Amino acid sequence: MVLESLFQKPEKFKVILQIPLQIVMNFTAMIPFALTWYVGMTNWLPQKTIDWWRADFVGPYNFIKVINDALFLKSVARTLLITAICIPIEFLLGFLLAYVFMGEFFGKRFFTLVAIIPMMVVPAAGGYVFYLMFINNGPINGLLELIGSNSIPFLTNSDWAFTTIMLADIWQWTPFIFLIMSAALLGLPQDPINAAYVLGASKWHTFRRVILPMLKRPIIIALILRTVESFKIFDYPYMMTGGGPGYATQTISMHLYEAGFKYLKYGITAAQSLIILITMILVGWYAVKPLRAAQRGA
Amino acid sequence: MNKRLENVMPLIIKYLFGIGVLVLALFPIYWMLTMALKPEIEWVPTEIHWWPWEPTLLNFIVLFIPRDMVISLGLVDATHAAVLTLPHETATKSILNSLILSVGGTAVALGIGTPSAYAMSRYKASGDFLFLTFRMLPPIAILMPIVIWFSTLNFMDTIPGMLLLYGLFPVPFVIWLMRSFFDDIPPEIDEAALVDGANPASAFAKVILPLVKGGLAVTALFIFILNWSDLIIALTITHRNAITIPVQIGLFEADVGHLYGIMAALGFIAIIPTLAFGLAIQKYLVRGLTFGAVKG
Repeated sequence: MVLESLFQKPEKFKVILQIPLQIVMNFTAMIPFALTWYVGMTNWLPQKTIDWWRADFVGPYNFIKVINDALFLKSVARTLLITAICIPIEFLLGFLLAYVFMGEFFGKRFFTLVAIIPMMVVPAAGGYVFYLMFINNGPINGLLELIGSNSIPFLTNSDWAFTTIMLADIWQWTPFIFLIMSAALLGLPQDPINAAYVLGASKWHTFRRVILPMLKRPIIIALILRTVESFKIFDYPYMMTGGGPGYATQTISMHLYEAGFKYLKYGITAAQSLIILITMILVGWYAVKPLRAAQRGA
Repeated sequence: MNKRLENVMPLIIKYLFGIGVLVLALFPIYWMLTMALKPEIEWVPTEIHWWPWEPTLLNFIVLFIPRDMVISLGLVDATHAAVLTLPHETATKSILNSLILSVGGTAVALGIGTPSAYAMSRYKASGDFLFLTFRMLPPIAILMPIVIWFSTLNFMDTIPGMLLLYGLFPVPFVIWLMRSFFDDIPPEIDEAALVDGANPASAFAKVILPLVKGGLAVTALFIFILNWSDLIIALTITHRNAITIPVQIGLFEADVGHLYGIMAALGFIAIIPTLAFGLAIQKYLVRGLTFGAVKG
């Protein structure tokens, strides 16, 4: 009888609909999340072969230690630098391409299709092929030799390795901006634009004063999604340089992976994970606001 | 004359950009293919071979046929140095795992996400933005706790453990995509079904779900691509038994070190389904990638 009423009343049915998700989420994400707070306060090391709940409790020691963990802090700075360089380039290239491809012309469908292909390449495979292209005997150095330049140690010099990682990111994700901006440009009402031309506005002026303001929302959404994604950058450094040479290409994700899973420093990595999580939850909470507004159609 | 130039110029610029895109977008894929077709002697040549001098399918063959069988079939001369460059194991396990986990994970994600999306679309259930925020967190930071939890439960490196993760991580996409598809259906249809005597559950299962079949298919392909592309989850959770293709690419080493051609061959196999599915749902990619905020 009770069960029947659950299916009969909409407000109760709502609860049923969400039960499967709640179970999986709590079991897979929430319990471990709570657990991390505890492990983050122990000196647990898996290689000591004792269970984590028997490890010594050290309090907030790990959280304090993070503050002067230079490797961690540098990886944060590096990730921010990648974001600060890659996102503007990706945005400008993607937007420019979307703008150039605006309107009908022969072959547009084909070129659009080709332009979004990089985005659909598995990032690990993409990272690997960039590794193949930039190794010392690879085709990029081959091209450089053809034009008479010296070969460049792309993956073994710190600065070049860093640049190469960013090139892979730009190659793969410029299409993302292109795709969103193409859709946005396609959806623009044509009347204000034509009116501006009729009134004698120049092409640039029309773009700056009429088209750009109408594109504000898709631009913000594209930038936010790319920025948040680029904080997670992992596949390219992992496949291309393994974080090296030295630590030159170690991003946040690479650092957490290496410290946690290669050197098995669980306590401090758990503390670092929590710090990153809390920061990103705060960032994410503000970042979703424009998305939220757009989805509500406001 | 001047007038004509003015008309043609934009078109020329368009095609110049088009050619640029063609070269830049496709060259890495072309290079992966040539590498996959090169015999081991050409993997690291002293000069660049823009196309393999002696193209071979051996790199693809050894992904599926074990080392001993390759030698006994005479595909590689047993006395030849090339034997050293054969991988110790085939990639069949990781390809199968990738298929099982991507398909299974997609099913789990749709199974738990779709009812929630419906609840959010029709009954204004809360929690929707929580999931958007969840998607913005770096997976590695979430994985650290999960590894501790899973190793306590002996879930590490198992198919069920991976299915849970591949079912959970893409859920924000399922919720927002399916929600946008549910929102496209006028609520009057639910109401009509309820007035006709259906209970909410059967209105959902028998009336609304058939209407979003197309949306479900798009979402499924989208989630499949996400799961198939994942590296970091598989890398941290799996070691031997449940490894997937992206993990396997990094693992291919033999007596002589990196197996460039074989890794490239596996990479090439890895991108085929994502390319095919991605282009198939091209119309919906914008909607998917922006969580339904921009409708392409």
